[in-house]
Amino acid sequence: MIEVRLFATFREGRDKIVYLEPEQASCPADVLDHLKIPHEEVAICLINGFHSKLSDPVKDQDVLALFPPVGGG
Amino acid sequence: MSEESRYSRQILLPQIGEQGQKRLAESTAAVIGCGGLGAPVLTSLALAGVGKLRLIDHDRIGLSNLNRQFLYEESELDKEKCERAADFLRRRNSGIVLETVCERLTEENAGRLLSGVDVIVDCVDRVETRRHAGRAARRLSVPLVEGGVHGFYGFVLSVLPGKSACLECVTAQEAEERGPVPAVGAVAGVIGSLQAVECMKILLGLPHVLYGRMLQYDGLYGEFTEVPVHVRPDCICQS
Ligand SMILES: [Zn+2]
Repeated sequence: MIEVRLFATFREGRDKIVYLEPEQASCPADVLDHLKIPHEEVAICLINGFHSKLSDPVKDQDVLALFPPVGGG
Repeated sequence: MSEESRYSRQILLPQIGEQGQKRLAESTAAVIGCGGLGAPVLTSLALAGVGKLRLIDHDRIGLSNLNRQFLYEESELDKEKCERAADFLRRRNSGIVLETVCERLTEENAGRLLSGVDVIVDCVDRVETRRHAGRAARRLSVPLVEGGVHGFYGFVLSVLPGKSACLECVTAQEAEERGPVPAVGAVAGVIGSLQAVECMKILLGLPHVLYGRMLQYDGLYGEFTEVPVHVRPDCICQS
């Protein structure tokens, strides 16, 4: 399973943690499509705590964390 | 006024004590942005006796600021934020030095505006200004405390320049908030207060600063989540 942790507004209308089968997504972009999150809304994308691009590979057991901009001061 | 009794309740703490209080008094913090986050950060640091605060904000007070920016009064609309903020703080602690810089922090002036401080607190609302602040902190080798809010959500991350992950280390793409960012005063209070705690830990030399640990707050779930973040080797902070 790929564990997808959503933060801030990405949780609205979705669960805060979503599990996907590796067959359902090979990269963060696939995960975003699956969750119907527009790609341009992503500010931070971490795979196991490390910076990743939306096209980087995700595999079984990975933890993906997705954040929209939280930039108000 | 006896300064001894002013700080007596925090001097009681083994983590502060007389030594720590002296350390705070000899410290300088730069706070970029005197808005929703800047208000709790500045107030907490001023009341705690951080000896010198540099307030950086080019903006003027607007009516839509008043749901959260408690440094300002209705009678102060259109006035310069950093001057009014300094006045608010001065009336609460006359024993500290307040420097006001009524300029927008830019790539060009960041080094000058932030030089000679012991900690930098990022309380701004623009991605670009955050980038300039982060890069200047790296060049100056000064710890930085990041914070941001969006409605009921917020985050805090401390950065030890070159050593722990900066915001650019984790940014996938520069997604700017669209339009005015929704803001709840109480949430800005939570995040700004956490930033002030981080500042005090950094100034006091205490352990467990949020270096490499992004603390996410979700007010709707009533939940804090610690997200470990790692340095990106090709980040500008590593050059
Ligand atoms: Zn970095």
